[in-house]
Amino acid sequence: MRMSVPAKVAVYALVVVSVLVVMFPLIWMVLSAFKTNGEIVDPDAPLVPSSWQWSNLATAWHAAPFGRFFLNTALFSVVTTVGQVATGMLAGYAFAMFDFPGKRVLFYLVLSGLMIPFTVVLLPVVDLLAHLHWVDTYQGLIVPNLASALGAFLFRQFFLTAPAELGEAARIDGAGVWRVFWSVYRPLATPMVASFTIIAFLQNWNNFLFPLIVTNSQRLMMVSQGLTVFQAQVNKVSYNVLMAGSLISVVPILVVAMIAQRRIVDGLALGAVK
Amino acid sequence: MSGSGGKPGRGPERAGGYVFVAPVLVLTLVFSVVPLLYVLRRSLYVGNVFDLDLRFAGLDNYREVLTGDGGPALLNTAVYTVGFVLVSMLLGMGVALLLDVRLPGLAQVRAFFIIPVVVPAVATALIWFTLFQPNSGLFNRVLGGVGLPQVSLDDQHTAMLAVIAFGAWQFFGEVVILYLAALKGLPGDVLEAAEVDGAGAWQRLRYIRLPLLRQQTALIAVVATLTGLQAFTQIKVLTNGGPQGATRTALYYVYEQGFNLGAGGSSGRADAMAMILFVVSLVVTLVQLAIIGRAAR
Repeated sequence: MRMSVPAKVAVYALVVVSVLVVMFPLIWMVLSAFKTNGEIVDPDAPLVPSSWQWSNLATAWHAAPFGRFFLNTALFSVVTTVGQVATGMLAGYAFAMFDFPGKRVLFYLVLSGLMIPFTVVLLPVVDLLAHLHWVDTYQGLIVPNLASALGAFLFRQFFLTAPAELGEAARIDGAGVWRVFWSVYRPLATPMVASFTIIAFLQNWNNFLFPLIVTNSQRLMMVSQGLTVFQAQVNKVSYNVLMAGSLISVVPILVVAMIAQRRIVDGLALGAVK
Repeated sequence: MSGSGGKPGRGPERAGGYVFVAPVLVLTLVFSVVPLLYVLRRSLYVGNVFDLDLRFAGLDNYREVLTGDGGPALLNTAVYTVGFVLVSMLLGMGVALLLDVRLPGLAQVRAFFIIPVVVPAVATALIWFTLFQPNSGLFNRVLGGVGLPQVSLDDQHTAMLAVIAFGAWQFFGEVVILYLAALKGLPGDVLEAAEVDGAGAWQRLRYIRLPLLRQQTALIAVVATLTGLQAFTQIKVLTNGGPQGATRTALYYVYEQGFNLGAGGSSGRADAMAMILFVVSLVVTLVQLAIIGRAAR
């Protein structure tokens, strides 16, 4: 497509505007995190802090156990993501590659999990966890999130397109069911595993509603829920410390996002079948 | 769905099949399917706070939901979802069309738009909470500067606007990514032929690209609708469903009724509303499957 110079300028100008639309809240957060509170509540104060208050970060960090929150979030995200990838890949592989009685019914059962939003079954799941005495425990947080019906669905789609001859050849060479899966087909799925892993990880890291209703002690809290406690703790008008806390909480995931940018884009594109 | 040809269901494979699907199957049954049946059953009963003395009540819970606070909550969900879908799709499609132009540097800009999607929504909602502060928040400084009335989270009439604005800002990057993937799939030769025939950029968009994107647009709209129906974080952080229930959505109603049993909540009403939410989501999902099915043909 050949474009005239004014058209190019217009495109770049619009792109700059749209980047500003997406970035201004984050810029506002960073600027506010380093202001004095007086500067924030003064409508006539300039947008950039007159002197950068680095101590706000320390104040925020000590106002809530952020270290603990991060540790809990990392533990929860890593364990549930590994679980979702592993169980999803195994089930998807079996649904695509094996024949066994009842396969169709079992697949529809798993698919129904895809159609039941977690928010709908919130209350009975919490009741169940209460019966197990799992409320406010790590297992209560983690076990209900170990499987992903979406993962099973996506991996089934993937393995349906994998060549059958590879497995046949390995089987003739004497490889068993597990060997064929592990050494032949699992390596094929690596790009799919990478995209699904990053998306599942981000979703688990940012999970808010489930931890909110299953935990209530700070010992177990994840970053998102911890932030709401932090919000209640810092005086409601200490907006600078509030923004410093927000800044602390977004940094780790921003680093991940920068490193895994391409994978995130691929993973989000999978979202159309979500 | 039947296994691809030439793969006999041999003994070890049969056993393998059951073992491989067992983890997902068991967890789905225990934490989704069976709980849904519970929700359905309990939505038909009334009882006290501790679920003792349950008594069959037919559709009483549903009637109470629809005639009480639940009716406005459903309306709020509709308003939120429609606003959220429209704004995020228009923004997302516009930005995707911009970034799809072949000019140096535009491919790299894409990264900015995934940031709101991937950072914790509680953190970004807190930012918007300060942006909407009366007088000193950035939005109200700008609105005040040009002589417009302020948008406040404490005002019944503007709180929903604020919640929709945040939701669309947080999500539209995902729409950008989905549209960029769809645009990449368009047949380049058709567009080139149109250009050779003298069709301008607007005509190519209006008569060729948008019609070709119709199916993808429908699919993205479904994904956005499901996301909109599930909105929770920003409502919890920005408004707690207030003021006076102005931003209380169906899901927020479930949360309030279900987890404030001591404060006049009722699990029967929560479950009835959850069932309504389920049926709405199910209809939307069936539309989605129909679109995917048609695309596969």
